[in-house]
Amino acid sequence: QVSVINTVDTSHEDMIHDAQMDYYGTRLATCSSDRTVKIFDVRNGGQILVADLRGHEGPVWQVAWAHPMFGNILASCSYDRKVIVWKEENGSWDKMYEYTGHESSVNSVCWGPYDFGLILACGSSDGAISLLTFTGDQQWDVKKINNAHTIGCNAVSWGPAVVPGSLIDQPTGQKPNYVKRFVSGGCDNLVKLWKEEDGQWKEDQKLEAHSDWVRDVGWAPSIGLPTSTIASCSQDGRVFIWTCDDPAGNTWTAKLLHKFNDVVWHVSWSITGNILAVSGGDNKVNTSSSPGAEPSTEASPSSACVFCR
Amino acid sequence: MRLKEIQRTAHQAWSPAGHHPMYLALGTAAQQLDASFNTTAALEIFEMDFSQPSLDMQLKGSLKTPNRLHSIVWVNFGMGADGSGGRLIGGSENGILTVYNPDIIMSSGADAVVGQSDKHTGPIRALDFNPFQSNLLASGANDSEIYIWDLNNFSSPMTPGAKTQPVEDISVVSWNRQVQHILASANPSGKAVVWDLRKNEPIIKISDHSNRMHCSGMLWHPDVATQLVLASEDDRLPVIQMWDLRFATSPLKVLENHTRGILSISWSQADSELLLSSAKDNRILCWNPNTGEVIYELATTNQWCFDVQWCPRNPALLSTASFDGKITVYSVMGGSLKAQQQSTADQISSSFDTMDPFGTGQVLPPLQVPHPTVQDTIVPPLKKPPKWMRRPVGASFGFGGKLISFENPKVPPMQSPQPIPRQVFLSQVTTETEFLQRSKELQAALQSGSFNSYCQTKIQNARSDAEQDIWKFLLVNFEDEARVKFLKLLGFSKDDIEKKISKCLGKSFHPNGYGVDAKDLAEKMQLLTTERTEDVADARTSGSVSPSDFFSQTPNENSNFQIPVSCDTDGLISQALLVGNFEGAVDLCLNDGRYPEAILLSISGGEELLKKTQQKYLLKQKNSISMLISSVVTQNWRDIVQSCDLDNWKEALAALLTYAHPEDFACLCDILGGRLENEKTEKCCLQACLCYICSGNIERLVECWTSHRDSSSPLGLEDLVEKVMMLRKSIERLRNCEVAVQSPILAEKLTCYAGILAAEGSLTTAMTYLPENSDQPGIRMLRDRLFNAQTEAVQNRAGGSTSKTATAAQVPAPKAQVMSQYQPSAPVQQQPPVPSVFTPVSAANTGPGMRPSPFLPSATRPSMRPSYPQHPAPAPGFHPHQPFQPQLIATGRPAAFPPAGPSLPAANLSGPPLQPPSSTPGGLPSMPSPGVPPTTFMPPTSLPSSLMSPTSQTGAPLPLYPGSLQNQPGPPVASGSYAPPGSGYPQGGPGAPAVNPYQPPLVAPPPTGPQEGWNDPPTVRGGPRKKIPDNYTPPAPITAPVMGFPVEAPQPHDHAQVPPGAPQEPSMQLLQQLPTERVEQKEIPAEHMILKTTFDSLVQRCQLAARDPQTKRKLDDSAKRLGHLYDKLREQSLSQNILNGLHEISCCVASQNYQRGLEVHTQVVSSSNFSEISAFMPILKVVMTIANKLGV
Repeated sequence: QVSVINTVDTSHEDMIHDAQMDYYGTRLATCSSDRTVKIFDVRNGGQILVADLRGHEGPVWQVAWAHPMFGNILASCSYDRKVIVWKEENGSWDKMYEYTGHESSVNSVCWGPYDFGLILACGSSDGAISLLTFTGDQQWDVKKINNAHTIGCNAVSWGPAVVPGSLIDQPTGQKPNYVKRFVSGGCDNLVKLWKEEDGQWKEDQKLEAHSDWVRDVGWAPSIGLPTSTIASCSQDGRVFIWTCDDPAGNTWTAKLLHKFNDVVWHVSWSITGNILAVSGGDNKVNTSSSPGAEPSTEASPSSACVFCR
Repeated sequence: MRLKEIQRTAHQAWSPAGHHPMYLALGTAAQQLDASFNTTAALEIFEMDFSQPSLDMQLKGSLKTPNRLHSIVWVNFGMGADGSGGRLIGGSENGILTVYNPDIIMSSGADAVVGQSDKHTGPIRALDFNPFQSNLLASGANDSEIYIWDLNNFSSPMTPGAKTQPVEDISVVSWNRQVQHILASANPSGKAVVWDLRKNEPIIKISDHSNRMHCSGMLWHPDVATQLVLASEDDRLPVIQMWDLRFATSPLKVLENHTRGILSISWSQADSELLLSSAKDNRILCWNPNTGEVIYELATTNQWCFDVQWCPRNPALLSTASFDGKITVYSVMGGSLKAQQQSTADQISSSFDTMDPFGTGQVLPPLQVPHPTVQDTIVPPLKKPPKWMRRPVGASFGFGGKLISFENPKVPPMQSPQPIPRQVFLSQVTTETEFLQRSKELQAALQSGSFNSYCQTKIQNARSDAEQDIWKFLLVNFEDEARVKFLKLLGFSKDDIEKKISKCLGKSFHPNGYGVDAKDLAEKMQLLTTERTEDVADARTSGSVSPSDFFSQTPNENSNFQIPVSCDTDGLISQALLVGNFEGAVDLCLNDGRYPEAILLSISGGEELLKKTQQKYLLKQKNSISMLISSVVTQNWRDIVQSCDLDNWKEALAALLTYAHPEDFACLCDILGGRLENEKTEKCCLQACLCYICSGNIERLVECWTSHRDSSSPLGLEDLVEKVMMLRKSIERLRNCEVAVQSPILAEKLTCYAGILAAEGSLTTAMTYLPENSDQPGIRMLRDRLFNAQTEAVQNRAGGSTSKTATAAQVPAPKAQVMSQYQPSAPVQQQPPVPSVFTPVSAANTGPGMRPSPFLPSATRPSMRPSYPQHPAPAPGFHPHQPFQPQLIATGRPAAFPPAGPSLPAANLSGPPLQPPSSTPGGLPSMPSPGVPPTTFMPPTSLPSSLMSPTSQTGAPLPLYPGSLQNQPGPPVASGSYAPPGSGYPQGGPGAPAVNPYQPPLVAPPPTGPQEGWNDPPTVRGGPRKKIPDNYTPPAPITAPVMGFPVEAPQPHDHAQVPPGAPQEPSMQLLQQLPTERVEQKEIPAEHMILKTTFDSLVQRCQLAARDPQTKRKLDDSAKRLGHLYDKLREQSLSQNILNGLHEISCCVASQNYQRGLEVHTQVVSSSNFSEISAFMPILKVVMTIANKLGV
């Protein structure tokens, strides 16, 4: 059941491309082709404009909230090839960092789990993925994976922080030795998994199933099971769910969740990882031919489709 | 940016948009020769594999063709559902139109030609397929020849109408993208003709007045049906004209930028604002035809590009064919050539040989590839973001099951002056309707405290018997006399059994062998026990058989009888007895199968002998009940639970319920449960759960439940949580304090549960379930998240301090709910420390300059959580542990205090069990003995039915625990009637006769009945305080095992001396003494009366002055709580230190110096045993604080 509880009029002057809630669900960040990023306080059904961030020179594709333990930090990426990290200090939002290392539109930004520190992955149409790590004192360490997706990377999404071998969150006193992993999707129709080894990013897996651009990928939050789950959606209208049961993370199996008649733009897992929201250009949901999950709800008023697992 | 390149001089055709994978077909171009002067022709298909960074195209199939091509298209027609195949159609230089099957070209190459026609007379330069009906193909050649081909019927083409005059070459044909029967053709002279195929005639002709248009390209607008563009090859007019058929007199727009004639144009179907053109000025431009602006220029080589085409499938790609013999695929998204080429350079040079398709060795000099000047080129993307990148929709999740979604209008209405509303929707997603409903019900029950009705509802709605059983057991925990009811649930009703027994006894004195009815057994066992008791008594008195001893029904010992001294067994026994060799006599008896005699004798022979005899007897008895008897006799329930057949779990549990010592009960239940659990069957799991419910072991219940049931699904989890919460509530009720279960698995489950609640949007409820005092990062994070998510909206963020104060003010709210959840009745709830627990949070929130960072060092965390250990169960002397504690009744809540067996688990759950209450005298543990001696030993055979029948009539549960009655003359009896089985039992079930006369009145109204029954003065019940008389000892749980009954146990003299025949008297005497004693104890010592007066008047003053309801509630409550203090004063159980402190406080209060009073209070609290003062000191502080605030 999906019921609208608040409608925020963003007053953007052009298309909205992304809208994200912060960690607590109290603030909403939106970005638009009008080159702005806006932040609203939406507690108690309100919609108070907190900030109107200008700095991009092209459409802003995505925004991403960092974990609040690092402060109130928002990253945005734009067609202008820039990534801007914004930070709230004393109630006002300012640029904390601007990254201009991409040669083409930056299509996706995603903060890693807080366990990894303040680390941002950025996927660009130049085919590269950049990993920006805050090293303290205004310094950012940049690692770049060139040719991650030859003709463009459309999406990046971090895997949950898991300790190798267990794949289950381990609450321990000392800092566990996490393996940092993320997934990316690109115009080469591939979904790729990346893993950090000895400080270097390596391609870990290449998942093939889509027949057109992979528009978005979403690594499901860990729900305590030793299974990794990734959702990918594509220009070809298909949404795949990839699962991996083996601890080494080598065997991934794809399951077609649904085939839509139009581009599927976005997938988003719920915090608990049991619901997947799929948004596409076609909000007609034809009866699913896939085994397993059926679209359980169609979210009015937007063309999103919600799947439960 | 260049992506792929191959050396070919060819016309190109992309596979259709639906085709996967993506191919590029190349047909050798006519009228162009490369340096090799090779005249062969071929049709080749290459795969565009962009997952490889190299510039190579992968050849998938090739077919030699007899003719070179002027044009080539790849149509959807004949394409499989899997997105492969279709048809390739080539128009050759000699007028032959050939249809190929690309699949066959790629598989074998033979018979790839599926259709051929030579209708055209000259070279076919123009080809286009209908976007709506892929079987329709238009072709144009010399002499104004235009044919419409139906690929289903290839042999007979149609014409769109009469040939235009004068005849001209057709350079382009193009189908309208919106209206399927409209076709346009254009010729090099610059004229364009639009045909309506339904009318079969040209409907409009477009011609530029300049007459300089030399039409090399013509395309319909992808979105607007009436618009088309014409490109001119004429160097004098290198323009693209945009025409609208509605104003077909002159071009709507002219795109001017090329400096020489345009050779080819392509209009992106994915974004109509992207029009490509290549010209003889060597440039390839991308226009926005709507604005006329050049938005992109491709970095190309210095060669004419005669063909440019957008890739239909990947809108960012285009391919070019140039006169220098290269086919190149570009992306308009930009990127870095450096990175790409460096990574591919090695690959290219290593595979150099294959890059020389013509084998001449001249075409591709190795140096050409990693061109130094190109390496660092950064190719920018299109200036204007293409439409396909602009995500129009999105939906993403936020915390608490919120879905944030937005949608942009499909076609931006550019005409509309009204700004489009750009809205984002926040929705609540709930997927677990039933879960939420049930959680709500549970929550309601927990808050209202209507546990009984909740359980009742659950029982009624239970979907399975198992479920129903569990709920019945849980319900019993909330009821009085839980143990009895547990027994009933297990199928053992005392009443029934008593009836059965009496019936049975009516027929025979030997109930033996009438099945294994536990109650029968119990009766028998009691008889056995009597023997022991008797023995003890005897041992104590004289060590020999006293004349008035047990055989009251047997013939008088004084009458004459013979003592056999023969050599048979009888004789031997006699002789042995005569010499005092009990052991020998007993052995003889046993040997002869004379068990009764053996036991009788062994009773006289001393405790050790009796034990031995019992052992031997039990060893010999191998029938089904012997084990049970053995266990009852030896109090060894461990054996029963450890070795009974699991099918008999009910019986075992019943036995535990009946006999097990309070301290052991939980443990034994758990052992039984553990065994059942190990069976790993669904059924046994359920039974194990029942055991755990009896024992109140939440942790094991959770473990067992989770190991056998699905508790990962929301509803499964709900099932579990409902039970756990109810069990916990019942235990809390029994112990009258909150129960903190330190169970990792429970914590995990509750966290999970809270997580689901949160995900479903029930944030407040979720907060209440989250384990309070866990340091687990996951739990801490969820708590933090829930907490912050629920803070109120801050109206004015700029006004930092005010907004933060608002946030801080909100802080306690959710927490308070949490507290109430866990401490429904605990007195400590009203303690000031509870609110203060939150202050650290507030402090964090108001911290300078920062939004409250919840992730403070963990050192500060604990203070944010109410830590239960800080509020341990109120002093043992006061509170719940001992069901016998009269105080509880005295404090005016008899009904609230469940006397039931489940209180026993308290020991299990709370750790340090049952210290002797400070109010009771030290001799307590050993006191239970007094009741023993009076009981009469009666051999089973001689058990008078007349004595049994009253018991059965009353239906009282008491017979099993008569000892407790004897020992508890006061009000505790009621509540303790079966609660103290452990202690009550040892005094011997057979004591029943002694008690029976008192029973009926006792039983009638369960909790308070005994008081009436004992004819207590009314003042007793209503009176404020009942001090346990010093010489009275509640049968506290600690008792020596029956067998080892300590002889040295202090006992009232009159008891010890009572002749066995008159057992009732002592108890009567004891009881009658009680009331007076109590009355004596009721007054607060005069020297302390001042405390009561002062505090009471303080409360009264406050009550008069208090305004807000919360304070009033606190004050009302305080009156009650101060009662605890007065009780203590009456008992004189407070240490001098505390008393001094209280008096000092009282002085301060009297002088209205509350500050000082509070200081003293703090001193007292810090220097005293918390358990001693916890019942009243907190409320004292509350009252003083209030008084201070109110200024009374």
